[in-house]
Amino acid sequence: MDITKATIRELRRALDAKEIGARELCGEYLKRIKEKDGRVLSFITVTENEAEQSALRAQKMIDEGKSSALTGIPLAVKDNICIDGVRTTCASRMLENFIPPYNATVIEKLNAEGYVLLGRASMDEFAMGGSTQTSAFAKTKNPYDLECVPGGSSGGSAAAVAAAFAPAALGSDTGGSIRQPSSFCGVTGIKPTYGRVSRYGLVAFASSLDQIGPIAHDAYDCAILLNAICGHDRRDATSARRDVPDFTEKLGEPIKGLKIAMPKEFFSEDIDSVVRERVTNAAKELEKQGAVLVDCSIPGLKYAIPAYYLIACAEAASNLSRFDGIKYGFRGEGRTYEELIRDSRSRGFGEEVKRRILLGNYALSSGYYDAYYKKALALKQEIIKEYNEVFEKADVILTPTAPTPAYKIGAQDNDPVKMYMADICTVTVNIAGLPGISTTCGYTDGGLPIGMSIIGRRFDEQTILQTANAWEQGFTPVAPKI
Amino acid sequence: MSAYFPTMGLEIHAELLTDSKVFCTCSAEFGGTPNSRCCPVCSGFPGTLPVLNHKAVEYIIKAGYVMNCEISRFTKWDRKNYFYPDLPKAYQISQMPRPVCLSGNVKINVDGEEKIIRINRIHLEEDAGKLVHDDVNRISLADYNRCGIPLIEIVTEPDFHSADEVIAFLEKIKLLLQYAGICDCKMEQGSIRCDVNISIAPKGSTELGTRTELKNLNSLKAITRAIEAEIERQEELLDNGERVIQQTRRFNEQAGETVAMRSKEDAHDYRYFPDPDIPPIIFTEEELLEIKNSIPELPEQRIERYVSEYSIKKADADIIVGDKRVCDFFEEAVSEYDNPKAVANYIIGELMRRINLGEADMDALKFGGREFAKLVEYMQTDKISQANAKTILREMIENGGDPKSIADRDDLWIKEDSGALAAVVDEIIANNPKAVEQYKSGDRKVFGFFMGQANKALKGAASPKAIQDYIRKKLSE
Amino acid sequence: MAVELKTIQHLCELSKLNYDEEGLKKVMGEMGDIIDLMDEIKGFDLEYDDTKDGCEIRFCDTSEDIAEESAPAEKLLSNAESIDGCYVVPKVVE
Repeated sequence: MDITKATIRELRRALDAKEIGARELCGEYLKRIKEKDGRVLSFITVTENEAEQSALRAQKMIDEGKSSALTGIPLAVKDNICIDGVRTTCASRMLENFIPPYNATVIEKLNAEGYVLLGRASMDEFAMGGSTQTSAFAKTKNPYDLECVPGGSSGGSAAAVAAAFAPAALGSDTGGSIRQPSSFCGVTGIKPTYGRVSRYGLVAFASSLDQIGPIAHDAYDCAILLNAICGHDRRDATSARRDVPDFTEKLGEPIKGLKIAMPKEFFSEDIDSVVRERVTNAAKELEKQGAVLVDCSIPGLKYAIPAYYLIACAEAASNLSRFDGIKYGFRGEGRTYEELIRDSRSRGFGEEVKRRILLGNYALSSGYYDAYYKKALALKQEIIKEYNEVFEKADVILTPTAPTPAYKIGAQDNDPVKMYMADICTVTVNIAGLPGISTTCGYTDGGLPIGMSIIGRRFDEQTILQTANAWEQGFTPVAPKI
Repeated sequence: MSAYFPTMGLEIHAELLTDSKVFCTCSAEFGGTPNSRCCPVCSGFPGTLPVLNHKAVEYIIKAGYVMNCEISRFTKWDRKNYFYPDLPKAYQISQMPRPVCLSGNVKINVDGEEKIIRINRIHLEEDAGKLVHDDVNRISLADYNRCGIPLIEIVTEPDFHSADEVIAFLEKIKLLLQYAGICDCKMEQGSIRCDVNISIAPKGSTELGTRTELKNLNSLKAITRAIEAEIERQEELLDNGERVIQQTRRFNEQAGETVAMRSKEDAHDYRYFPDPDIPPIIFTEEELLEIKNSIPELPEQRIERYVSEYSIKKADADIIVGDKRVCDFFEEAVSEYDNPKAVANYIIGELMRRINLGEADMDALKFGGREFAKLVEYMQTDKISQANAKTILREMIENGGDPKSIADRDDLWIKEDSGALAAVVDEIIANNPKAVEQYKSGDRKVFGFFMGQANKALKGAASPKAIQDYIRKKLSE
Repeated sequence: MAVELKTIQHLCELSKLNYDEEGLKKVMGEMGDIIDLMDEIKGFDLEYDDTKDGCEIRFCDTSEDIAEESAPAEKLLSNAESIDGCYVVPKVVE
């Protein structure tokens, strides 16, 4: 079968109809990875043995009539989600040989469904970056243009789906890390509401912002994956005690009367004109389907980048302190504890990670806490308030996913400030804990994908999936040629 | 007389008696082979998350109530960041701006005088692991079994002015925590630990001097000695015109002096911030009331009850309640034999005497309060003589068992056998005509001589009353 | 604005990171630019009220106190240098 365009639904049908076996199916993907990923570098580790074994188990489930939505479906998993016995590197020298002794909750859930692990997708080191170029092991390239970045930090996951190395993948999103690479790679990715998916087993970058989510060919497949991974987890105190709906339920329902807000700050001169134009056109299309466009404003966006980086880096500095070379991870040299820990961290972490640790400790250190960290928390409250106000008059919010399409590899090297500014369209969604989905709304003249983001009320993934799905029904994606 | 007076405040850490650790499901029991009571969460693995133990929160609320604190309706958790190999996450989950308990007070009694010690705050946090230092190989070995055991930190106001006050307070806190079922307070196992902040100032001065912090004090005796040594050291400094430097010091027991610990300036910037993994908690009035109502009877209430209901002397009640193990033993005994006064007397007079002599150990008694109560009952109802009761108690202490089987086995019951009694007494009277004459001529003191002789010969086989009655009868014939 | 050497050194101490002379110079420049960006937040003048985050949980939603089996020590130690079931730490200077 042609796996290059296959959705999870199609694979499910083929597997259940015995048109293809689970082992054969994962074999096809592994073959494609072997042939073509050498150019894209979307994987850090390809887990052939695990794939083989789980495919056999999945086939047994199918044969016994016990298959569910993801039984036998091959997936790529971002390399910061712990899998028992499978090397999990976070794309860092620090964890080059780290084998977790436990499974993340999402992995337990996927295992219960009988998914097949293809491999560990590359990412920016510890999910810090928007280009996957800070990966210590696989600096992933954009399948649409191998000279461009795939976005990040879940660049490996997005590129793997775009290049059809996997029908779907798990990513994680702290400030846009699912949506922005989805936009750059022309696929669909959703960051669920904070608390919707358990974070247990996701190596923390910024605990109050991190969320695991799917990247797939379309919103429908994202909904299928969400069905599998959402829900309260007793191991994560921040996971929501809320019923999980069937996320495919509202797909296909007309969006007539849906109120779509477009905050003016997201369409300023700072956003590339081609991006603005494609997103605005998409809005007009949605209007034709019966949606109502609403003007609105998120003034707090002005301070969003510092607020985001102060919160994220403060938490990261603390979260990453555990890497000392003693319990796991890169063990440097030193005659004393102090020497060993400094050497381990200095050599184990990459430059961007170190900068963020320094920034985080700056924001938290005595004398600076009130001016930076506390101020950022005040801003968080303000941004939540502003979004609440918008949602009083609109059902969803439409914005560009990134200010630009994928840029050339190296274009942002040595310029952290430029790199941080590029997150402007996505970070407030994490700050406010809202769900957001990015789907392709067009291409540049050169053929690079452009994504738009649809943001919903807290725990209303259904409406943004419905909106994205409604758009996708009338849109013909162009696959990359690799 | 010294020209200075000392001022002290305490930071007390007490481990809570939960079954599981405060942020994971590992057992919170003391000890275990290294790293056998650990999981990815308490070992600080990447990706793991803490979840808060309900019971630990319940216990700190109870601690707050027994120390008359205000319980915050809104409480939250913070990270205290510092690097040390016994702290696998490199931060300790603790509470900074919003602890569970604020501003309480505890009454103490020193030399008959009552004094109130103010509590500044009580917060919940996690314990760290243990390091064993191997000086030969220049390494340390880290065991994380203790990581994540729930701790409360009780911070007092600087209300202490002598070591005696500190000890009285610690003993009081120990009892309160034990009776409330919050902590077992085994100082030797480290389940309760105390740091002392201490400064001295010239008498009459209204300002406090520069303080030092005494750490790693592991017995009440060490605390007293350390405080005295530190006061002396500070006095000498000031007398010599030198300054006290703010620092952390530990007590060297052998040398009997305090020693400065290495302290790095930077290590003090703990960069506290709210832990994003643990949401704040809001308590309802009902929840707090339920916890308040579940607090068991506290020491003071018990003493009062023993005095008013059981007519036990205040001093005796103090002794029994002063050791929770003894008090539990007493309660059990009274539930078996409803004669609290007799039970109390025998506990204090016999059992505790033997414990003090080192013949018995309250932590390893081979019998319970029920068996002990039976023994007291047999004695009180003239079934066993006092002398034989002592013999039986010794046997119980040494080998355990219940008094009935021991008395059966060793033939120690009082037998109301009038034939045997008559034969023995008749013989004594026949053999001592002089004494009989003395008695008859009015020298009643000699009665004791007959009693003694009879007791000796009967070996507890007759009750003292029966012997007395028979001798009296014979002598008046 | 450049960050003072003293500040960077303090941050390196808090972060347990070493830089060689050249690296330190470079990171000083970068941190200066980053902190300039962060300083924009000073233009925002609302106060933070920690009781208004709205993310509290109920007391009854905390975890029950039930001890479960721990993980095998060998598995936990499998990523580390260990002796006698303990993690090996170079001597901690007291």
